[in-house]
Amino acid sequence: MLHAAPSASNEKGDERESLQEATRLLEEEIKLASRPQIYLLLDLSEPILYIKGRGIELHRLPVLQWKTSGGGFLSGLFRLRGRPEVDRPKAEPSKDPSLPTDLEPINLQDMPAEYLLLFEPGLLLVVAPPLHEQPWLWARSRLREWWLRFASWTGVASPADQVAGPRLRLTLTGEAARSLAWTVTDGMPLLIGRTVPL
Amino acid sequence: MLFPVLCLVIAGGTVLTACQGGAPLEGGGPTATENRQEQPNRKQPASLDALRTRYASLKRQLAQQSPDNTYIVVDTARNVLVVKRKSNVLLTAIASTGSGTILDNPDRPGTQWVFDTPRGEFTIQSRLTNPVWVKPDWAFLEEGQKVPKDPAERLEPGILGEYALGFGKGYFIHGTLYTRLLGKNVTHGCIRLNDQDLRTVHRLAMIGTPVMIF
Repeated sequence: MLHAAPSASNEKGDERESLQEATRLLEEEIKLASRPQIYLLLDLSEPILYIKGRGIELHRLPVLQWKTSGGGFLSGLFRLRGRPEVDRPKAEPSKDPSLPTDLEPINLQDMPAEYLLLFEPGLLLVVAPPLHEQPWLWARSRLREWWLRFASWTGVASPADQVAGPRLRLTLTGEAARSLAWTVTDGMPLLIGRTVPL
Repeated sequence: MLFPVLCLVIAGGTVLTACQGGAPLEGGGPTATENRQEQPNRKQPASLDALRTRYASLKRQLAQQSPDNTYIVVDTARNVLVVKRKSNVLLTAIASTGSGTILDNPDRPGTQWVFDTPRGEFTIQSRLTNPVWVKPDWAFLEEGQKVPKDPAERLEPGILGEYALGFGKGYFIHGTLYTRLLGKNVTHGCIRLNDQDLRTVHRLAMIGTPVMIF
C-alpha cells in the first residue's frame, strides 16, 4: 500500500499543534515549579512519568504502555484526590521495658502494584503491571476499572468514587507501580501531555 | 485522628526547637485545576517562529526555577540522600527514613502517631552541633515506659551524632548509632545518616538550602 508523502502545510500544522501543546504544558509546569512542592509529569511523547520539584527531575518511572478512553486527547493539570490505602503495621507498647518493640517497617514491597487513582477534575488513572508480568493483578485491574465505570453509570458508586471524564490506563512494571504508590500524596499535581514538539 | 509527635532537640543546654511527626506536609496550597481536551483556539494563530521562540523562552524560565546553589534530594522509597549543585552530584548517601508505622496514644484514645518522613519541599532551618535528643512521649510509650514528669529525664545526649539539621516542623537530618539499619525505613520521621555523610551534609548545607523529599 502506498502512502502519500505528507505535504509541507500538513507538517507545519502538526508542528504548530505540538508546539502549542508543549508550550501550554511548559506554562503549567512553570507555575508548579515556582512553588515548594513535588509534582508528577506524565510525558506521553516518551512515555515517562517524572517525579519533579522546581523543574528538576528527581526520579523517572518508565511507562510500558498507555491508553486513554472516555474522552478526547488528554492534556493538562490534575490533582490527586487521595493516595492508595497503605496497610500500616501498628506498634504495641512493650509490656516489658527490657524488650523493646521490634516492628517490621513498611517498605516499597508493601505498596500495591495495581490500583486506581482519582484526580480532579474528573480523571481516573488505572495503574497495573503488564499481563505477562502479573496476570492476576492485570485481570483484577480490568475488573475494578469495569466495576467503577458500571457503578458510576448506575449510580451505585458513592459520591467520592464517582468517575466522570476520561480514563487513563498506565502499564508500569510492578516496581515502578509501587514506587508511584509510595510517592503520591493527597492533592499532588499531575501534569499530562507531550512536552517535546515535533 | 492523627496528632503531632513531640520531641525536642537541645543544643548547648538550650531547647531550640520542638519536633513533631504525623501530619503529612505538602508545600503550596490548592490552585485552580485545569485540563484541556481539544479546546478550540479562538486566538489568531501565532507564527511558527513565534511559537518556537516562546517555547525556547519558557524552557529557560523553567530552568530558572531550579535552585541556584546546593540542594538536597531524599528518596524515601529507596532511602537515599543526594546533595546536588545544579546537575552535579556532590554526595550520595544511604539514609534511613520514616518507618510508616503507627502507634496508638493510650492517653488520648482514638489518636495515634504516624511515623512518616514528610514529603514535599522544605528548607534547612537550623544547624545544630552536638544536639541532645529530648525524648518525646512516644519514645517512652514505645518502650513500655512511663512518660517522666521531670523534663531532665527526657534528655539523651550522644545518640543524634555530631550534627542535626532541622528542615521544619521539627524534623531533622541527623546521625545514628544504628548504622546497620541505614538503607531501611526505620525512623520516626527524621532522616538518619552515618557520621561521615552527616559531616559532609553539614558542611554543604546552609540555612535556606532546599530539601526535596519524595
